[in-house]
Amino acid sequence: MRVLVVEDEVRLANNIAAALRERCGFAVDCAENGVDGAALTEYRNYDLLLLDLMLPGLDGLSIVRQVRRRRDMTPILILTARDERAQVVELLNAGADDYLTKPFDLGELLARAKALIRRGKGVSQPVLTVGRISLNTVEQTVRCAGHLIDLSPTEYRLFEYLIFRPRAIVSARELLEHLYDYNWQHHSNVIEAHVSNLRKKLRAAGEQTSIATIRGRGYRLEAPEKQL
Amino acid sequence: MKRSSLTRQLIGGVLLAELICAAVFSFVAVGHEMHGRRRAFDVMLRGRADSLLGAVQDAEDPDDNVVVDPTELVLPRQDVYAVLNPAGRVLGQSPVAPPGLLSGPSGSNRPTYFSFKANGTWYGAIRFDGVRVIDRDDKGGLRRPVTVFYASPTRDLWHEAVEAVRFYVAAGALLLAITGIALVWFLRRRLSPLQELAAIAGRVSVHSWEFVPPGAVLRTSELAPIALSIEELLKGLRQSFERQRQLTGDAAHELKTSIAVLKSSLQLLSMNPRTAEQYEAGLEGLLLDTERMEDLASRMLALARLEEAPAEPSESSDLQAAVHAVAERLRPLAALKQVVLEVSAEETDKVAMQADDAEVLCSNLLMNALQHSAPGGHVSATVHIHNGVTELRVVDDGEGIPEAALPHVFERFYRADRSRSRNSGGAGLGLSICKAIIERSNGTIHIQSAVGKGTQVWVTLPVAPTP
Repeated sequence: MRVLVVEDEVRLANNIAAALRERCGFAVDCAENGVDGAALTEYRNYDLLLLDLMLPGLDGLSIVRQVRRRRDMTPILILTARDERAQVVELLNAGADDYLTKPFDLGELLARAKALIRRGKGVSQPVLTVGRISLNTVEQTVRCAGHLIDLSPTEYRLFEYLIFRPRAIVSARELLEHLYDYNWQHHSNVIEAHVSNLRKKLRAAGEQTSIATIRGRGYRLEAPEKQL
Repeated sequence: MKRSSLTRQLIGGVLLAELICAAVFSFVAVGHEMHGRRRAFDVMLRGRADSLLGAVQDAEDPDDNVVVDPTELVLPRQDVYAVLNPAGRVLGQSPVAPPGLLSGPSGSNRPTYFSFKANGTWYGAIRFDGVRVIDRDDKGGLRRPVTVFYASPTRDLWHEAVEAVRFYVAAGALLLAITGIALVWFLRRRLSPLQELAAIAGRVSVHSWEFVPPGAVLRTSELAPIALSIEELLKGLRQSFERQRQLTGDAAHELKTSIAVLKSSLQLLSMNPRTAEQYEAGLEGLLLDTERMEDLASRMLALARLEEAPAEPSESSDLQAAVHAVAERLRPLAALKQVVLEVSAEETDKVAMQADDAEVLCSNLLMNALQHSAPGGHVSATVHIHNGVTELRVVDDGEGIPEAALPHVFERFYRADRSRSRNSGGAGLGLSICKAIIERSNGTIHIQSAVGKGTQVWVTLPVAPTP
């Protein structure tokens, strides 16, 4: 999952980004002002937008309006130091999904971020299952019939992204865009290597569910028909 | 406190004036009426007495006397009379003749009027000396001088007077009642704009500043100035209140953001087990965050202190010394940024501000200039006397301030480019503090800037009064 943090207080932005990377395994990009932030949202590579309300250049509310005008459904979480009710109502009506007032609890921010991403992908529970495999987004673990499968952080993130969209074809490019922030050198063969390892580990656990490679188009998480 | 009512006072005043008028008018009218009746009464007495004189006849007796023969007279029964001859003998009298009747003053040829009381009744009486000519012929006839006393009870006269007074009192009371009711109705109607004004003014509160005086109020020449001045006052109050609220909101925003940084740093540090180096780096960052917050708090307090009270006459400081001291302190920063810092300060009179404030002023202005200068830039600070006023001028050739931002630079928490100044540690209070310091010393501050060319700030300060 990839998150955009638009916050002019650099120290705060760095803290949020570090927490999102460490605790959730998300790729995080930061923008220091509204104009840069709004420009980044145009790529639609994000699974969540975290916006400060008072930003230099362009304020959070305007970014929300821009994003929603493009019919971009990406979940938006607003950070605000002002908790005037009218403003909150205006924000939510403009298309924001949730808000947190500063100073907030970092744990709460992470929980809300994860919940919003889940919701954005049409899932309401933190545990997703496909076949005999269950993925727990809170613990960041994957189990097959109750047995833990040991995955590297990148493999977990890859699997998490795929399990949110079972049976859909996900291109290597999309995976790159959603699993890495823009500081990363983009090489699609990195994805190929991680997919290959993931496949091996699932097979070793005796799982029939597998990740199929659709040549020239991408990858697909496939489960036996009746189990899906 | 007991309130006095304008309406009640007005009505009371009008009714009192009317009451006095009515009383005086009634008094004069009754007096006039009484006088007329009295005159009529006297004329009537005289007439009846005359007719009594006509009844004096020859008595046909040896003494050649006269008598009163009232048989042909028609006189009211309650009247009393007596006719005397000059010797004092009674020639004739009414069946009842009270002794007071003859008490009338004597010695005058003209008729005299008097009054007396008999049997509990007051009488008005006349006494006159007349001559009755009997058997008038060519020689003149018999001339018989007599004195006539005639009296009639005045009871009816007084009764009539009381009636007249009663009439006037009743008419006055009716008039008063009608005026009172009419006044209440009229005043209620006419004073309704005042009540409307009070009602509208009463609805104004901190949450609702709406004050639109109704047309009826504005059309009333006595009320329009009040309504307009209330409107003006409310507008001023509202602006000041909004400014204050904006300021509090901005201050809260800054503080909350600072706290959010601290809190998230701490939570991030305790989220996962860390190495000693990571903890050390985290603590260092936290220390910096705390220092920034400390700086913010001290600046906010300084601003509050500066705006609280005007400068004391005892305060005075040397601007030249302050500029030099601050420049020395900032030289390392200037060297680091590769900016040339020039100071030329001539000996000036002392200015009316605390030495600390003078340093804060110079430091804020020079720091701003340095922070907005590119490597290779120049910053100069000059102090000199111009027309007896101390002038401080800080000029840089840095990036300048956008025209749109210029009018706002003295506003608290205003940052032309927020993200940038945040990183350099400012909270948008530097110039506000400068302005507060200068205004406290009755000075002025102006700023001129062009993007890409640089900024010029000049401050004028009056000389401190010599103690």
